[in-house]
Amino acid sequence: MLPELGNFAIILALFFAIVQIAGPFVRVSGLQYTAVFSQFFFLAFAMLCLIFCFINNDVTVLFVRDHSHELLPLIYRIGASWGGHEGSLLLWCLILSGWTAFFLIFSLMKKNIPNELLTKIIMVLGYVSTGFILFLFSTSNPFKRDFPTEPISGNDLTPILQDPGLIFHPPMLYLGYVGFAIAFAFAVAVLLEGRLEKNWAHACRPWVIMPWSFLSCGIVLGSWWAYRELGWGGWWFWDPVENASLLPWLAATGLLHSLIVCEKREAFKGWTLMLAIITFALCFLGTFLVRSGVIVSVHAFANDPDRGVYLLGFMAIVIGSALVCYLLRIKHFYQPPKFQLFSRETFLLLNSVVLISAVATIVIGTLYPIVLEALNLEKISVGEPYFNTVFVPIMLPALFFMGLAPHVSWGQQTVITLWKKMRWTLFFSLLITALFPIVTGFEFHVLTSLGIFLGIWIIFATLQLFFQMKNKSILPVSAMMIAHIGIAILVLGMTLNKSYSVERQVKMLPGESVNLAGYQFTLNNIHEMNGPNYQSIAALFNVQNNRGKEFSVTSEQRIYLSHNQAMSKAGILVNMWRDLYLALGTSFSDGAWSVRIYYKPFVRWIWCGGFMLLLGGFLSLITFLQKKGERHEAI
Amino acid sequence: MRLFKLIRVGLPMMIFLGVMLLLWRGLTLHPAQIPSPLINKPAPQYRLPNLLNKKMMTERDLIGHVTLLNVWASWCEACAEEQSTLVAISQNKNFQIIGLDYKDNLADAKKWLQQYGNPYEVIAVDQTGNSAIDWGVYGTPETFVIDKKGIIRYKYIGPISMEVWEDTLRPVIEKLS
Repeated sequence: MLPELGNFAIILALFFAIVQIAGPFVRVSGLQYTAVFSQFFFLAFAMLCLIFCFINNDVTVLFVRDHSHELLPLIYRIGASWGGHEGSLLLWCLILSGWTAFFLIFSLMKKNIPNELLTKIIMVLGYVSTGFILFLFSTSNPFKRDFPTEPISGNDLTPILQDPGLIFHPPMLYLGYVGFAIAFAFAVAVLLEGRLEKNWAHACRPWVIMPWSFLSCGIVLGSWWAYRELGWGGWWFWDPVENASLLPWLAATGLLHSLIVCEKREAFKGWTLMLAIITFALCFLGTFLVRSGVIVSVHAFANDPDRGVYLLGFMAIVIGSALVCYLLRIKHFYQPPKFQLFSRETFLLLNSVVLISAVATIVIGTLYPIVLEALNLEKISVGEPYFNTVFVPIMLPALFFMGLAPHVSWGQQTVITLWKKMRWTLFFSLLITALFPIVTGFEFHVLTSLGIFLGIWIIFATLQLFFQMKNKSILPVSAMMIAHIGIAILVLGMTLNKSYSVERQVKMLPGESVNLAGYQFTLNNIHEMNGPNYQSIAALFNVQNNRGKEFSVTSEQRIYLSHNQAMSKAGILVNMWRDLYLALGTSFSDGAWSVRIYYKPFVRWIWCGGFMLLLGGFLSLITFLQKKGERHEAI
Repeated sequence: MRLFKLIRVGLPMMIFLGVMLLLWRGLTLHPAQIPSPLINKPAPQYRLPNLLNKKMMTERDLIGHVTLLNVWASWCEACAEEQSTLVAISQNKNFQIIGLDYKDNLADAKKWLQQYGNPYEVIAVDQTGNSAIDWGVYGTPETFVIDKKGIIRYKYIGPISMEVWEDTLRPVIEKLS
């Protein structure tokens, strides 16, 4: 019964999505708005049906059979409803219609978008939503049923997904990914109108900032998950699917900043519209890469050629038509630049240039294997060495400008005044960088010092902004300051972690000790444990630091019953300055175990920086809500 | 000047079309199937016991027959899937099917053969997995086609279905025999 209801709800949602497109053509008052809310209601209903199918472990539903099991704990059963292609696509559609509904309520309340434009934005969103719901219904229906003749049990969720990460990471990531549809719809609607309302950039900004914060947080959560689950303490792998989430993030960061120029200076209009289209196109590209099987990745879903063809065709229509609009209408938005070479505008333009170059290098690296294969040359995979070599040098100047740009005035600025303003900040950043290896005893490396300098420079320059503010309200800039400091902390964490991590692989008998990075690790005992759907061999370690303080930590080797697959569950000791990471390997016949021990300094700073980005996003939303809605005027 | 403007405005469209074409082409490719460097090379040397009678077997057993060498294990789910196809095609006497039992428990392997059927002429047991490394095996099931001179001519990755047999493997074997 529930699966049929869910299926029916999807059909109704599809119907309402089509009504949403028809909105501007059928002049029935309130019809389009009703369609938006009904669509959201029915998709939410379908999602609930799917979740209940999982809770009841209804194995007649194929998607449930493939991803659930009677022994799977409840919380993972709920998570499993988006743990595979079909369910995650339903979540995707639900989030898209959720954003649309939220955007509509918000805009109707603030009255900051003229009705004509609002109707067009909702229309474009309907167009995207229809395509995705149709995709869901026709190629990836999560409610497809099959009645087995004899009782069977489900295939269970892949062990690697049985982690709290599954509960938060995909919804958070999708909130980001999908949310950019609004900015895209905004850009296309503006192009269709052929003229810009004066405050459109202001009205559009929260719809870039919110998804951007969610995406930042989603990416960081994914990295945290990989760090804990994959058992070797890495936090970024340049996997094609990680790249797929990083690409829209980079483009959206550019969009975020160029919108500011649009709002404050009425410049960069065409470029901003283009960036909104690029950002969403990259979200699309990511979805296509993950779900079509054109690339090999640890994340890729089981693939089906129809899905790839559909998604590609749909992407061609949506992004292609947006680009056609852009081609035809862009001449209306052209304005000669009104700023001097050395000004805040130039720095924000540089920001865009750098970020788009970074996007281009990652796209090239990710698609290069397909290019070679398409030309029948050879099969290769592009990995970390390429990305580290090209991505890092591009981002370094951007980080330096990040500290500088907020101090540069709009319009024009002289180099001398800027130098006078910033020289002490520069001096102290360099001083601390120089002192760092001496005080902490860490080895000196040029690149590491560069990373440390950039991090400290951004923090100091941003704090300087705070101290130089005279009787202005702090809230509007605080979001920017927190986000920028978040990036600085991220950079510091990544640099220090990359440079000073230490690891050792050892063979240990119970009772034996090993020293690493000033800690003594003792394997206390090995015992067996039983989980709800796994059995595990757990090793209890005692760790003593050089001041004699003791901690204990358990590292497990789990065997999941339904998959007969071993998973290493690392034991991690956490504090602000370092993680100690112990992964249990294989056993030897003499009772010894191979153990990998990692000392990972500053790894928490990476997650911490990521959450600051989320916080910055929320603060900026609060600022936006506090401002009185400015009435719109056409120019 | 007009041309410059056209290029500037049209550039995003051109890049987009290029990427779309590339992805379209990409859909027809199979990136997960990595070609074996052993194609057209002699089969690697091995010396492995037979699962059923403990007799030693070597690569010289391959000479004189067209061989389908199938790498499998009792713990491999996809192997159980292809077994019915293998049993069906083993009726064909133009070629021999040799099994390579990969990192397996011998008792489990024998039980598994009773359950799913035994299409193999002989089964070599590679308990350490060292021989599989020589063959460049990175997962089960994998199937090699070896000609009468003991030279590897084809490698198929993944379970063999009846369609795979008809469309892919059968033409290769017929050409060799």
